[in-house]
Amino acid sequence: MKLRFNRKQLCIPYAVFLILFVIFPLLVLVYHAFTNGQGKFTFSNFTAFFSSTNTLGTLLYSFAVAAVTTLVCLAIAYPTAYILARSNFKKKYALLLLFILPMWINFTLRVTALKEILTLIEGNISKYQFFNSVTGMTYDFLPFMILPLYTSLSKLDKSYLEAAADLGAGKFTTFMRVTLPLSVPGIISGVTMVFLPSMTNYVVLDMLYNSTYIMGSLIGSYFSAYDWNNGALISLVLLVIIFIVTLATNRFSEKDSGNRGTLL
Amino acid sequence: MSLVKRFFSAFAAAAIIFPCFVGFAGCKKSDSAITLRVCSWEEYIDEGDREEGINPMVDDFTEWFNSSHDYKVKVEYSTFGTNEDLYNSLSLGDVYDLVCPSDYMIMKLIAEDECLDYSDEFFDVAAEENYYVNNVSPYIDGIFKANGWDKKAACYMWGTTGLVYNTDKLKNTKDVSTWKILLNEAYKRQVTVKDNVRDAYFATLGIINSDKLGGEITSAERSALLNDVDARTIEEAERVLKKIKENVYSFETDAGKSDMVTGKVIANYQWSGDAVYIMDEAENDGKTLWYSVPDECANLWFDGWLMLKRGINGNGQRRVAAEAFVNFLSRPDNAVRNMEYIGYTSAIAGDEVYEYINDSYASGGAEETLEYDVSYFFGGDCKIIADKADFGFDGTNINRGRQLFAQYPPQNVIDRSVIMMDFGDKLSDINAMWISVRCQDLKDISPVAIGVTAAVAAVAVTGILLYVFRYRIFGKYKPKKGYEKVEK
Repeated sequence: MKLRFNRKQLCIPYAVFLILFVIFPLLVLVYHAFTNGQGKFTFSNFTAFFSSTNTLGTLLYSFAVAAVTTLVCLAIAYPTAYILARSNFKKKYALLLLFILPMWINFTLRVTALKEILTLIEGNISKYQFFNSVTGMTYDFLPFMILPLYTSLSKLDKSYLEAAADLGAGKFTTFMRVTLPLSVPGIISGVTMVFLPSMTNYVVLDMLYNSTYIMGSLIGSYFSAYDWNNGALISLVLLVIIFIVTLATNRFSEKDSGNRGTLL
Repeated sequence: MSLVKRFFSAFAAAAIIFPCFVGFAGCKKSDSAITLRVCSWEEYIDEGDREEGINPMVDDFTEWFNSSHDYKVKVEYSTFGTNEDLYNSLSLGDVYDLVCPSDYMIMKLIAEDECLDYSDEFFDVAAEENYYVNNVSPYIDGIFKANGWDKKAACYMWGTTGLVYNTDKLKNTKDVSTWKILLNEAYKRQVTVKDNVRDAYFATLGIINSDKLGGEITSAERSALLNDVDARTIEEAERVLKKIKENVYSFETDAGKSDMVTGKVIANYQWSGDAVYIMDEAENDGKTLWYSVPDECANLWFDGWLMLKRGINGNGQRRVAAEAFVNFLSRPDNAVRNMEYIGYTSAIAGDEVYEYINDSYASGGAEETLEYDVSYFFGGDCKIIADKADFGFDGTNINRGRQLFAQYPPQNVIDRSVIMMDFGDKLSDINAMWISVRCQDLKDISPVAIGVTAAVAAVAVTGILLYVFRYRIFGKYKPKKGYEKVEK
């Protein structure tokens, strides 16, 4: 018998993967989020989440950690990416590699090393918990900000800048009117890649001794008390937040979707 | 069980069992071995990688069993990280024959009728290979019998909780004789606590009830005080734990050991077995650390082997293999091997264990010695002539010491130690309390801070929006002086 494949059948492996590991777990998640321990339908997990000052406070705290991390990453990454993209330096790929290189090392190892460095600088790292968390996250996620920015900045057509200069724009005006708007897709891409994971990456906080929970650790603490329902609901809330952010950013950069720094 | 849950667990079970079947079928043809599925703590058995020429304990067991029985056994040894992980994996449908959880999880699994009774043969003292019943310490056996666990659980390791500390950096040795060190401002950010609600709650109850526990008190009253899960007590504990959170270096799951050895912290809330490990490690670095059990109370904990009904599933051969596994680990020479490897104290009290302890700790040419009484554990009048300099005293009572003290606490520590029961249906209340301690409560942020942050965020967002939509809002772009816009 001759085996024939048409194009549609090629997606079967992925479809199976999708159903087994994405759709099915998602359904289980939704089921647990809207039932109680006895399997009865309820909104009580939902109302408990939005009426407790603890969970809302944690949401706010996670937002704060993530927002500060994102801003710091952006502040460091933009100039770096700008210089890298602009320089005629022959070895700039080697420089770029320097930023990607740490990602090849397991991140728990990197954070352990960071812990020692911070101890050396601060003496007692548990006194600066928020600062350390942000530092750890920045250390962890910086490459995710640099690469999309670098991609979008290096794709920028130089003739735009020449035209701007011809029309009398100074360096600052050129940057504000030409370079910055054209790099917005890169910024958005980088921001999403840094902001969303840093809301839940509680391993960094744990390892750097921040004793305040963020969303990820809150979910974990419910699971360890066999409370699947509340844990599932919080995961679902996070999922919705991520969905909304992704939707909003996609709309923002729809026009340049081909230009997004999807190197990673 | 709900339909979805059942479907999910069936699915999970299928995923796990399916490869077993394949493996099973494969073996059946060749030598018809049965598979014993054992699940225990990480690094909780001699893995044979410490010295050349020593096999992993599990391999030794297989060899021993296969040479003495007319059928063969194959051990699938897996590990878990926390009791809750084990429970969750069991409730998701993972199947094990033999598991080794801690005290409260043993109670929970027994209460949920998941465990099989050990057989009568297991308790037959006449049979030499029944190493467990023949060698288990009378002290441990007594506790298990008193609580009614002896038929279903076989103790593996046991110990206390206390504080590992660095004498040189301590301001006053009295400070480590109380759980209040966790609140002591003099050690701000220099003491670590275990990152789990049970240990944290226990120490907190010790602090709250400090006065009562220090006075005349019966052991039943002591146990009641330290197993108090009354709503008002939980509320009080929350208040204290919030202060502890602001005062301690960290809540740690594993990092405390290395932080203690490297000297990042002065004291470290620790289980006795890990305390021994830390003191050994520090000794290798040329440092001397001590272990103290606070005067208020100690948590007496133990880990034990349970046979699970769902795993054994009425299979006699598998039950025999599971019991043989427990017995093999309880053979005194093997108990010594495991103790040496993991640093915890075995529940086995055979002569070889006593000799090992005596060899390790008996003082050779110390200036002053004392007779350290371990008779409660080994029976008879077992004593160890130990170096007096390795112990600290409160009056005549030994209340702190080094490895020997941590492994076999003296009678006065035993007297004030308490078994912490399973929280039962209060678990969700206590967990809610713990979450409340660990979360940033919205109420605790000052309204001014929220206001300022919100204002800054609002200004930033409006600024960006105004900038992006500036032409739509403020009208067309006007060229600079000297330039003019070219209309098409």
